[in-house]
Order: sequence, then structure tokens, then C-alpha cells
Amino acid sequence: MTANPPTPTIASNEAKEPSTMDVSVGPQHPGSGHVRLLMRVDGDYIVSIDPDIGYVHRGCEKIAEYRNYVSNIPHLERPCIIDAIHLNWAYVLPVEELQGVIVPPRGQYISTIAAEMNRIMSHLYWLAINAGVFSGHTTIFMWAFGDRDLFIELAEWLTGARLTYSFLPPGGPRRDFPSGFEQKLAKLLDYFEKRLVEYDRMFLSNPLVVARAKGIGVLKKKDAIKLGVTGPVLRGSGVEYDVRKVEPYGAYADLEFQIPTFKEGDSYSRYLVRFEEMKQSISIIRQALNKMPKGPIARKAPLVAPEGEAIGRVESSRGEITVMVIGDNSDKPYRVKIMNGSFRNLIALPYLIRNVHVADMPIIYGSLDYWPVEADR
Amino acid sequence: MSQETLQDFIGAWIGKMSEIVQTVTGSGPIKYLINWSRMYALWPVHITTACCSAEFGAMMGPRLDPERFGMQAVAGGLRQCDLLIVEGTVTKKMAKRLKIVYEQMAKPRYVIAMGDCACSGGLFHDSYSIVNDVHKLFPVDVYVPGCPPRPEALLSAIVKLREKIRREEVFA
Amino acid sequence: MSQKSTSREETIIEKAKSRFPEYIKETKIDNNRRVTISFDKDHVQEIAKWMRDDIGFDHLKGIAGVDYPTHKKLEVLYLAGSFSKPEIQDIIVTLKAELPKDAPTISSVVSIWESAHFHEREAFEMFGINFEGHPDLRKLLTLDNWDGPPPMLKDIKFPEMGQR
Repeated sequence: MTANPPTPTIASNEAKEPSTMDVSVGPQHPGSGHVRLLMRVDGDYIVSIDPDIGYVHRGCEKIAEYRNYVSNIPHLERPCIIDAIHLNWAYVLPVEELQGVIVPPRGQYISTIAAEMNRIMSHLYWLAINAGVFSGHTTIFMWAFGDRDLFIELAEWLTGARLTYSFLPPGGPRRDFPSGFEQKLAKLLDYFEKRLVEYDRMFLSNPLVVARAKGIGVLKKKDAIKLGVTGPVLRGSGVEYDVRKVEPYGAYADLEFQIPTFKEGDSYSRYLVRFEEMKQSISIIRQALNKMPKGPIARKAPLVAPEGEAIGRVESSRGEITVMVIGDNSDKPYRVKIMNGSFRNLIALPYLIRNVHVADMPIIYGSLDYWPVEADR
Repeated sequence: MSQETLQDFIGAWIGKMSEIVQTVTGSGPIKYLINWSRMYALWPVHITTACCSAEFGAMMGPRLDPERFGMQAVAGGLRQCDLLIVEGTVTKKMAKRLKIVYEQMAKPRYVIAMGDCACSGGLFHDSYSIVNDVHKLFPVDVYVPGCPPRPEALLSAIVKLREKIRREEVFA
Repeated sequence: MSQKSTSREETIIEKAKSRFPEYIKETKIDNNRRVTISFDKDHVQEIAKWMRDDIGFDHLKGIAGVDYPTHKKLEVLYLAGSFSKPEIQDIIVTLKAELPKDAPTISSVVSIWESAHFHEREAFEMFGINFEGHPDLRKLLTLDNWDGPPPMLKDIKFPEMGQR
């Protein structure tokens, strides 16, 4: 076979060459998650890949029309269980816009701090599983899960649940900080900042990781814009776009932080984006703890939403989540449409995994941080 | 001796010998040894069903360390695994694959239904694309309720399963 | 300040109306930064190309279908955003097209916005909308999950949903 087979389109109904073989990297696989990738291989090269999703499709959008606005929160935050606050917030922003409810400043700060803690937790999960276990680096799995559990303990103290908080009903967060929470959180952030230095030595500067990830799966800037990807995939390709700066929500307008952007577009720069985002999250939480206003945390929201359409968006750890809610003057929404980061990044999978070695597939797949449950809803 | 009597005699002799083997190994120290080796090497299959997999990952982490019970997530083949953990909601698409995976596992094989969705449908019980009764696909040994269950709950389910294995008959 | 931000959205609407006077049916601005343009479904590719090249909306965030059984119509909503032009990065333009319930067909925009590939596949299987010209229109999420008619239509009622 030639060293560079011709580049096919990402549609899957092209004719099969006789030298190729279809391999199914299915849901039962140590490196695939809840998705099936149908790979067409020619020797050691992957010619094309066809993602087969829907293994966790539970019909969230249909169920949302049968439950009222507050009862929708538990099942709408399950798709991305490791980053549940952002899905919750993205759903509640358009509902509050329709109902005309404004969350008081202390509530915005509490939501922001909880969201940034969740971002750190989700990036640690990515580091452990997608960047660690899928590429064979199981030490970082143990380290990252150990540290993630400390954040989960604090979140459990604040909200009452480990992962599925249901913390933001329409109107604001449902609990204030317990006494002693801010001191414990500040102590944890000091400890975690030192741990990030050790992670850098163990993982980012590890010559094996660098050799496997640098230059692999390059997504150029104009392709990233054309494909409409979002989140760290977009920022790793040089586009400086973050919903927290473009359309600030919560307390982000008062806080100072940077958007880490790298222009190489390969898997290693996507790793770097997430590492830097963790550091920025630490700084955001510290500023928010210093600037916390006093006052009420939530306002009472009505049970009914008037007629109209509203669109709200947040920046979660996998990208931008845009939710459109259509109300019809009743206590149940008429239509809820969720456009989240994993589904928008899905198009990068067949686009990037072409003419690469078979061993590069887990690296590219892991660097995109594709969470199948969120994409399937 | 005629042909039939010879065959009857050999058949009865083989039956008696296997009864003796079963009685010897099915009780006492050999049964204890076989069950001990089975319960100390429970390898789970690498399949994640839905969102409870985040808590399954947390249980395999350093806090609870199931490796001291012999439970390692080994990236080997499917035939060497003997524990299938159904984590979370089972959609119809995933149910087909779970059944294939269960049938490919070598006996003895055990199933843990983790999460409310695997036990009885849970939060999404009225959706159009999910299977509510996992026990109709394959027999379940331990049910763990919770949404998602705490990692400690899943570990206690594994301890219960080990108790069950310790007491079960070798030739079931 | 509010004067300046409403004029950005109004500028977009005026440009659209002056370019395609007969294809645009109605326009709306919801709060700030949300523009809705309803247009004639037969000219979706021209309008999409103009939005991308002249105004700078270079990607789609999603394609939503909405079912209105009392009016016997299906609506397709294209949510477009811009990465490359900083002055309109916070605006989302919703392009709405109405389709009759018995013949829901519209041209595909994949040749203009490649980000629409998987969104159109999902709208096809959830609402039964036929996107002509899509390179690979087949079921995505409901492949082995549901064999009946498109599940998100309002006529498909699941009587046990919401009970208990």
C-alpha cells in the first residue's frame, strides 16, 4: 500500500477498497467509552472512521416536554454527569430570561464558584481517563482521581450530592456556603496548585506523552472555524473564543482571567489548553472568594413561563452549551433544544482520524474529550 | 458380556466416578479453594453503559482500591473476565451488545446491576428507547440502588457478591 | 451603549431585507444579541451563503426542529454564530423556515456550513425532515433504539410519560 492513501470524504457510503478491512472499536473496549467507531484500516493506517453513536440516547428532549421546569433539572443534568452544573446553568439561563427573574449578586458568585470547581473536576476526569488510561498512562489516572475526590467532598458539603447537584433551580442556587467552607476551599486550592506542578512533571513533560501527542491530529484554524468545533478543541487551534468573555454570565464580568489559546492545533496543544484552564479556574475561584458580596442568594421564580423563545449559553469544560427553550404559558416547556460541546465536536472525529496510524487513534480521540453520554442526550 | 451390558457397565462406572469427584471437590477444602480463587480474582468487563460509569471509575481509584480484592481492570480479552457491571441506563441499542458480551463471557460469570436505571428504569423509566428490566436479558446477582450510587455502595456490593461466591456450589 | 448594540442587530436585519426583499418574511430582535429571521424555505442556500460570506456568520451551533401540529407546520431553526468577526461574536442569528407537515423537504446547507453535517442527520431522524443534497442522510441516534415514526413529533404521544 502507499504511504498516504487518498483522503476520502467523511461520509461513509463510499466504495470499499479491496485492501481495506472494517474493524469495529465497539462499546466493549478498554479505550472507547460508550460509542462505537467503525474503522476502515489499510494495514497500519486508518483510512476513514465512522462514528456510531446513540448507545446512551435516552430521549432527554422528549422527556423535557413532559416534566415541569424544575423537575427537568435532574434529568437534563445527567448527560454530562461530571460537569453537571454547566448543563444545569445552561438550561436555567433561558428559563430565567423567559420568566424575567434576575438572580441576586451573591447567588451569581456562588454559581460561578461552583461552576469553576466543576470545571476543575471535569478536567481531572479528562486527564485521568481520556489522556491517561486511553493512552496507557495509568499513574496519572490514580493521581487525578485521588485529587478529584477532594473536590467532590467539598461539593458534597456544599450541595448534598457527589456528582448530580441539581444546585441551580430557576431563581438562583438553593444553598448558601456552610460555615467554614471558604477556608477549606482556599486550603484545597493551595494544595492543588502545588499538585499541578507535579502533574506537569509526570505527564506534560513526559517524553513519551510528548512523542505520542505532538504533531498528531492537527486541526488548522480555518478548519476549526469551518467545522464549528468548540471549547478546548477550538482554543487549541488558535481561535480565541470563550463564552465567559464573549457574553459574560454569572459573575464573570467582574473577574479577571485569561483565555489560554495555542496555535499549533495538535493534540498536545489541546492538552495544554486544559491544563492552563485549570490554573485559570484556581485564580477565578480565589478572586470570587475575595469579592463575595453579601445579601440574598436567590429570588422566587414563578412556576409558569410565558410564551416566547429564549436562548442561553455557557462555557462548559467541553465547550459551549447552547440551550433554546420555547415556552407556551404553561408549567411545562414546549420545546427544549440542547446543543452541547461534545455533539458539535463530533465532526472532528472523522475529520481528524484519517490517514493516521492505528496507535494514534486513542490519542486523538482522547484529546477531543468527547463524552458520548452528553452527545447522545 | 454382550455389547449392551458392557456399555451399561462403563456408563454406570463413569457416572459413579463423576459423582465421587463432585462430592470430593464440591465440599470441604477443595470447594473452599475453588471458591476462594474465584472470589479473589473478579475481573470486570471493559464496558460502560451510561453515566454511572463515573462512580465506577471513582471506585477503581486510589481511595477505595478494589485491587486489594483482586479486582483489576485488565485490558485483556473478554473471555478472561467474569464480572459484568451494568452501570446505568440500558438503551435498546446497548442491550443488544450487552447480551452478546454476556454470552461471550466464560462461566462462572456474575452480573451487578448498578444504579437505579439498571435496577428498574430509574429517572428515565418512561423514555422510548430504554430497557427497564435488565433481569430479562440475563440473571443479575446483586442490585445496587442509587443515582449514582456512592463508590462505597458499589464496593459493598462487590463484598456481598464475594460472600455469595464463597457460599455457592461449585458445580451449579 | 444600548443604542449602539441595538444598531448592530438592526443593521443585520436591514442588510438582509435589502438583499433579499422578497424571501424574508419577518424579523425580530429578542433582548439584545438575539436576531430571528424567518425566510422562504426554497432559498435557504442563497441566504446561508450570503450570511457566511458577507456578514461573517461562519458556523452553525445547531439545527432545531419544532413541531406545531395545530398549524400543520414544522419549523426548522438554524442557529448561526461567528468566530472570526469579533464585533458580532456575541450575536446569535436564528434563521427560521416553515415546512408543510405533509412534505417536509428543504435543501441541505452542508455545502455552505460544514458544521451542519450531524445536526441535519439528527433533525432528519427526530422530525422526519428530508434534507436534499446531504451526502450521508441516515439515522444517527435512533438506529437500533427506536423503529417507529420520528419520535420528537407532537403527535407521537407516549401515554406513560409523565405518569407516576
